Amino acid sequence: MTKRRPNYLAGVGVTLWLFVVALPLYVMLGAGVQSRADYGASGPLGFPDHFTLSNYVDSFSNGFGRYFVNTLIVTASVVAIVVLLVPPLAFAIVRNRGRSTSGVFRLFLLGLAIPAQAVIVPMFYVISEAGLYDNLIGVILPTAAFCMPVCVLILTGTMRDITDDLFEAMAIDGADARRVFFKLVVPLSKSGLSTVVVFAALQAWNGFLFPLVLTQSEETKVITLGLYNFQTQYGVDIPGLLAAVVLSTVPVLLVYLFARRALVQGLMGVGGK
Amino acid sequence: MKTRARFHRAVAGGAALVLGLGLAACGGGGSSSGDSDEFHVLVYGDAGNRVEKRLVATFNKTSEVKAVLDTVPGADYQQKLQTVINTPQAPDVFFNWGGGSIQPFVEADLLLPLDDMMKKEPGLKSNFLPSVFETAQVDGKSYGIPMRGTQPVLLFNNKKVLADAGVEAPRTWDELLAAVKTLKGKDVTPIALGGGDKWTTMMWFEYLYDRVAGPELFKKALAGEKDVWDGADSRKALDMLRELIDAGAFGSNYDSVKFTDGSSPALLASGKAAFELMGSWAYSTQREADPDFARNDLGYSNFPAVEGGKGDAANLVGNTNNFYSVRKSTEHADAIAEFLKLMYSDEFVEEQLAIGNLPTTTNTDKFLDAADNPEYLKYQYDLVDKAPAFQLSWDQAYPPKNMTPIYVAVQQFFNGQLDPDGFIKAMQALTTV
Amino acid sequence: MASPSKDGRPGIGWALPAVVFFALFAVVPLVLVAVLSFTTWSGLGSPEFAGFDNWVTLFHDPVMIKSLWLSVLLTALGVVVQTPLSILLGVWAAGPQRNRAVLSAVFFVPLLLSATAVSVLWRALLEPNFGIPSQATWLFGDGNLLGDRTGAIAVLVLVSTWQFTPLHALIYQGAARAIPAVLYQAAEIDGAGRVRQFFHITLPQLRNAIITSVILMVVGGLTTFDTVLILTQGGPGTDTTITAYYMYQKAFKGFEFGAGAAIALLLVVVATAVSLVVVRVSGYDKMAGTKEGM
Repeated sequence: MTKRRPNYLAGVGVTLWLFVVALPLYVMLGAGVQSRADYGASGPLGFPDHFTLSNYVDSFSNGFGRYFVNTLIVTASVVAIVVLLVPPLAFAIVRNRGRSTSGVFRLFLLGLAIPAQAVIVPMFYVISEAGLYDNLIGVILPTAAFCMPVCVLILTGTMRDITDDLFEAMAIDGADARRVFFKLVVPLSKSGLSTVVVFAALQAWNGFLFPLVLTQSEETKVITLGLYNFQTQYGVDIPGLLAAVVLSTVPVLLVYLFARRALVQGLMGVGGK
Repeated sequence: MKTRARFHRAVAGGAALVLGLGLAACGGGGSSSGDSDEFHVLVYGDAGNRVEKRLVATFNKTSEVKAVLDTVPGADYQQKLQTVINTPQAPDVFFNWGGGSIQPFVEADLLLPLDDMMKKEPGLKSNFLPSVFETAQVDGKSYGIPMRGTQPVLLFNNKKVLADAGVEAPRTWDELLAAVKTLKGKDVTPIALGGGDKWTTMMWFEYLYDRVAGPELFKKALAGEKDVWDGADSRKALDMLRELIDAGAFGSNYDSVKFTDGSSPALLASGKAAFELMGSWAYSTQREADPDFARNDLGYSNFPAVEGGKGDAANLVGNTNNFYSVRKSTEHADAIAEFLKLMYSDEFVEEQLAIGNLPTTTNTDKFLDAADNPEYLKYQYDLVDKAPAFQLSWDQAYPPKNMTPIYVAVQQFFNGQLDPDGFIKAMQALTTV
Repeated sequence: MASPSKDGRPGIGWALPAVVFFALFAVVPLVLVAVLSFTTWSGLGSPEFAGFDNWVTLFHDPVMIKSLWLSVLLTALGVVVQTPLSILLGVWAAGPQRNRAVLSAVFFVPLLLSATAVSVLWRALLEPNFGIPSQATWLFGDGNLLGDRTGAIAVLVLVSTWQFTPLHALIYQGAARAIPAVLYQAAEIDGAGRVRQFFHITLPQLRNAIITSVILMVVGGLTTFDTVLILTQGGPGTDTTITAYYMYQKAFKGFEFGAGAAIALLLVVVATAVSLVVVRVSGYDKMAGTKEGM
C-alpha cells in the first residue's frame, strides 16, 4: 500500500468521540471512590479529593458476594444452553435445503422484535406453572430463549462464510452431517461462536427484567437487582451505586479483554459481505 | 492464534461444567408455598429492612411457626405485589401504604379484615395513636397494622440563606410570596424542587388544596364526587399555585432536577436554594449527604397557612404510615397476630428511631429523648399527634392505576402545558372505583 | 438428531431442539399476549373476554397516537445520528493506525454497561445545577434538558448513541476490512482523493452492513424502554412516552394488562413488519442461496 498522509480530520473526530465516551466513565470511576458527602458537595465532575474504598467494602457487606455467585450461575447456564442449541440450528438454517428452514430463520428474525417486557406477564405464569418461580432455572430459561435470535443471526452470518468447495470436499469423502458439523462447521465458526458466548453472557449478566419478576428471595437475587437496591424509595446513593456498577462490570470487562479479538471478528460477520 | 484456541476450549468446557453445577445448585431452591410451618412476609426493599430482619429474627426465636422475610427492591414493589398476590407465591403478610394501594385487593376479596384479630388482641389497637388506622380502612373495616413510621411533609429551609436574606420561615402564604421575592433579589432559587420525580411537584398541590379547601374536597373527590375539582376552591388553589410558579419561585429548570438522585437536597444544602417542600425523610437524606448542614443549618416548619382558607394550618399531608396487611387465605393467622404484636414492642420503636423513622405507637414518646435528633423527632411527633387531619399522598390515596395520570397532570400544570381547565379535566378523568 | 444424509447436509432435526426451546419460552408467551389483548385483566382474578375493546380504545387514545409518533421520531433520529457516526468510526477502526486497537477497546466499554448504570451516569452528568450544563451555561442556558420536550428527546438520542454506536461501528469495521484493497489502489491510480474513495468505494461496499445495522437500530429503537424508564419516565408530561414505555405503563403502573398486551402485540407486529420489509427489499435472507449457487 502506498504511504498516505495522516488524516487530521479523522484524528480530531476520534479525539472528540473519545472525550464523549470517556467522560461518563470518568464520572463512574471518580464517584465510586468518593464519600456521599464529597460527591454531593462537588457534583459529578468534581475530582475525588478524599479517596475512599468504603463504597466497595459496603457493596460486599450488603450481600454482593451471594448475588455475584447467582449471577455467575445464571450467566454460565445461559451461555451453555445457547452454545448447545444455536450452532446446530444455524447449521441447519445455512445448509438444509428444505423450505422449512427459511421459515425457521424468519421465526427467529421475528424473535428479534419481541421485547422481553411485552411477554413478561404470561412468562410469569408459564414459569410459575412449571414450579420454577423464585428459582434460578426460571430466570435462566427465558433469558436464554430471548438471546437466541441475535445469536442465530450472528452464527448464520459466520457459517455462510464457509465456502462451498469445503462442504463439497467433505461430501465427496462421504461425510455425514454430524461429521461435517464437528470437523468443518464448528472449527470454522469459532469467531462467531465466541461472539455468541460473549453476547449471551452479557445479556445474562446485565439481565434485569426476568430476575425482577421471576424471583423474590435473597437466595435468588442477582447483581442487577442488588444494584437496584441502591435506589430506595427516597433516594439513590450515587457513589455507592456507581461503585457497585464498577464491581459488576469487572467480570464482563475481563471476558471482553480476553475475547475481544474473537468478539470483534464475530460481530463483523453480522455485517455480511 | 494459540491463545484464542485455548480460550475457546476453556469456554466450552467451563460452560458445560457450570451448567451441570448450576442446575444442581438451583434444584434445592424450592418454591415458597407448601411449607406448612412458615409464613412469608413481603417488604419494600430499602435501608429500612434492617429493622424488619431483626424483628423476624426476634419472632423466630420463640415461635414454632417461622416467619420468612422477602424483599422486593425499589420502585417495582407495587407491580410485583399485584403480580403475585393472587398466585400460590403470594406472601401471607405484606407491606403497603394503605389507601388505594390495598383497595383493589380488598375488592378482589384477598385480604383478611383485622377487626376480629384486634378484638382478640386489643393491644393491636390500643398501643397505636388512634388517627393512624384510618388510612388502612376500607368500607369501615381495618386491613392494616402500622409498621415503620409516619412521614409528614414539611417545608425545609436553609437557615443560613434565610438569615443572609433577612427572611424568616413563612407562617402564611403571603409571607412565602414575599420571601420568594426577596430571595430572588439575592440571586437564590427561592424553592428547590426535584420536579423530575413528579411526586415532589404533587406535594404542592396536596398542601395548597388542603389549606384552601380543607381536607373535605379531596375526600369527596376520592369518593367519586368529581364536581369538586371544578369548584371555586379548586380554582383558587390552582390560581395561587400559578402565581407562585410565575413569580419564579422554583426557577426554570426544576423538571430536570430530581430529589431521588440527591440533586435538590444538594441545592438546599449548598445554599443555591432556600426552601424545599419534602417528606420528613429529607432530614436523614441531608444527614447522610451533608452532615454539617443537617446539624447546623437545616431548618423546618409546617406548610404556611392560607388566609381565609378552609383548611386548618395544623393539617398535614404525606405518608400517614406504612402497614402490614394479611392475606385472607393464610393458614397462620394466629402466628401472624403474634408477629404483628411486635410492631409496638420497645425493640421495634428503638430500632425504627435509630434509622430515622418515627413510629406512631403510644410508647414512642418515651424513647424520643434517647434518639440522636430528639428535637426534630419531637417536633414531628407533636405535629402528627395534634394534626386535625393527615392527608395521605394523592398518588397513594387513589387506586394505583391513577398514579401516572396524576403525575402527568401536575407536571404539565407546572410547566404550562395545562391550564386550570385542563388540570381539572385531568383530575376528573381519574378512576375512583 | 437428523438421519445422516449422503451430501453431508443437516436434516431439519438439527434445528428442532432450538426451535422447541424458543417456541416454549418466547412464542408461547407471545401467543398468550395475543389472547390477553382481547381481555380486560387487572392481574387479580381471571381475565375477562372483552372483544376488540382494547384495540378500539387504543386507536382513540391521544397518548397512544402521540407515543407512536414519538417512537418513530426517536427511531429515525437514532438511525440518522448513529449511522454516519458508526460508519465513520468503523471505517476508521478498520484502518492501519497504530493507536486504533487501544482506542477501539475504550470505545467498546459503553456496550458492556447495564441500562441502569448508563442512565444513572448520564442523569448525573446532565444535572443542571451540578453537572456539565452548570459549567457551560453559554451552551445549555438554564440546563433544563430533561424538563423540556426537545431537550429530553435529544438526551435520549444522545444516550442511546453513546451506548450503541460501538456495536454498529464494529459491524462496519468488519465490513470495511473485507473491502478488497485493489479497489482503493485502482482508485488512487485514477487520482481519486480520500473523500471520493469513501463515497465511491467504501459506502457502496458497506451496503449489507448498513442494512443489518439499520434493522438492529429500528427494532432496537422501537422496543427500547429502559433508558426512558430510568431517565425520563416518559416526561416531561407525556413528551417522551414512547410506545414501548406506554405499554409498560399501562400494564405495570396502571395494571391494565389487556390494554398493555394490545400495545405489546402492536409493537411486535410493527417491528417485525419493518424488519421483514427491510430484509425482503435487501434480499438479505436470500444471501445463502446466492452464495451456494445451486
